[in-house]
Amino acid sequence: MSKSDPKANNNGFNPFDPTGMLKGMRDSNMDAWAKMMVEFVNTEAYAESTGAMLDAWLTTSGPLRKAMEKSMAQALAELNLPSRDDISRLAERLTHIEMRLDDMEAQIDEALPTRSQ
Amino acid sequence: MATTESTPEVNNEFPSFSDVCAQWHKAAENWDKFHRALTTDAKIAQTPKQLVWTLNKAKLYRYTPVVPEEERKPIPFLMVFAIMNRPHVLDLRPGHSFAEYMLRHGYDLYLLDWGAPGPEDKNMKFDDYTLEYLPRVVRKLKKVSGSDQFSMLGWCLGALISTMYAALRPDDGLKNLILLTAPLDFENKDAGGFVRWSSDPAFNADIIVEKLGNVPGEMIDNGAKMLKPIENYFGSFTMLWDNIEKPGSVEAWHAMNTWVRDIIPMAGGAYKQLINELYKENRLINGKMKLRGETVDLKRLKANLLNVIAQADHITPPCQSERIMDLVGSEDKELLRVRGGHIGIMAGRGAEKNTWPHMESWLAERSG
Repeated sequence: MSKSDPKANNNGFNPFDPTGMLKGMRDSNMDAWAKMMVEFVNTEAYAESTGAMLDAWLTTSGPLRKAMEKSMAQALAELNLPSRDDISRLAERLTHIEMRLDDMEAQIDEALPTRSQ
Repeated sequence: MATTESTPEVNNEFPSFSDVCAQWHKAAENWDKFHRALTTDAKIAQTPKQLVWTLNKAKLYRYTPVVPEEERKPIPFLMVFAIMNRPHVLDLRPGHSFAEYMLRHGYDLYLLDWGAPGPEDKNMKFDDYTLEYLPRVVRKLKKVSGSDQFSMLGWCLGALISTMYAALRPDDGLKNLILLTAPLDFENKDAGGFVRWSSDPAFNADIIVEKLGNVPGEMIDNGAKMLKPIENYFGSFTMLWDNIEKPGSVEAWHAMNTWVRDIIPMAGGAYKQLINELYKENRLINGKMKLRGETVDLKRLKANLLNVIAQADHITPPCQSERIMDLVGSEDKELLRVRGGHIGIMAGRGAEKNTWPHMESWLAERSG
């Protein structure tokens, strides 16, 4: 063992390695934790509690979100500005127009097979 | 029995000050590398490609061929990835890219990127992806390539969409279909966390979509990570730290992490269908899945089929992909089991030696 290898001390334990100690602790526990957690997240209790928590979060945050949306829509209407819903509807219509254009382009391609790409 | 005992030689020499300084300096350098890998983006999806078609957020790319035209396979190859992730994992990094690999083997290669749905896309369903977008993509691909036939690869939910398309439009020119980790059969409610969680009565996809519109990427990402929480929240980072002095490993990790961090939402309509009609009611396998009023009859799927299953897949457990082999109408079909996980089979270290060559040779035999 070379003099410059600090791990030579105490069967691999080296107080001067800033991560070695943590690494040792981690390696001895991680596999056990991983197995335990996989088992845990696959239990009925976990599925139930996740569903309930999600439901509770959505239910409690819902009214606040709705109130904010309403007041924002009112404010935008006062300022003669489109709301998010207005823009979403417009974007949906644009997608439908895009689809029609795509179909028309394909029909033109079919009618003029030599048309360049 | 003779036993020998040995006492390990203990070196009680105290390390020199310069050794300790060198150690700490190295640790600081490693920490800097670690931090950079976590917080910066690697250059991914670098293979040259041209945009040939767009519709809403969807884009169709054609990769620049690298072999002369006369040596190219005559049947173009389309790759369809999932709708809730970016497709860059198919072209992860130069030298380790499936797209690059297929180009080198002479394929005329196309990539469909579904894009990130906006609030205006919250009602998009599998009906739209399968019967509005994909047929238009195929039409454009045929026009650009000049071929009436094509091959298609679908991965994860991209495989679900590809399967339904192949069954609904069997005469559209699809010759070869490769499915990768395809979530199709949800009969077994104990297989995989997603099915188990979403089958619980407390889990209500309708409320989630009603309140949120599109399902946030963070929610899907955390759901996927919670399937293996220790590995995903800790193991991945400890692996990086353990390999921090190996530039190749750091580069690979950095590229994968860049892709993993780039999360996108999932369209609310498709999410509701996935949970209610597929996870809970298993409609596709039961022959009750309807898109735009048309029943998806898997017997009508006639394309040559290669179904690739990841044996250690915790997102799409093998049992979710197996049964389709008995239900499709394809005469030429093969089930390939690969060691690895959901993403690892295509982007892991073994992909270049196992999955890619097998897929390529299967496709090459059928692309003449």
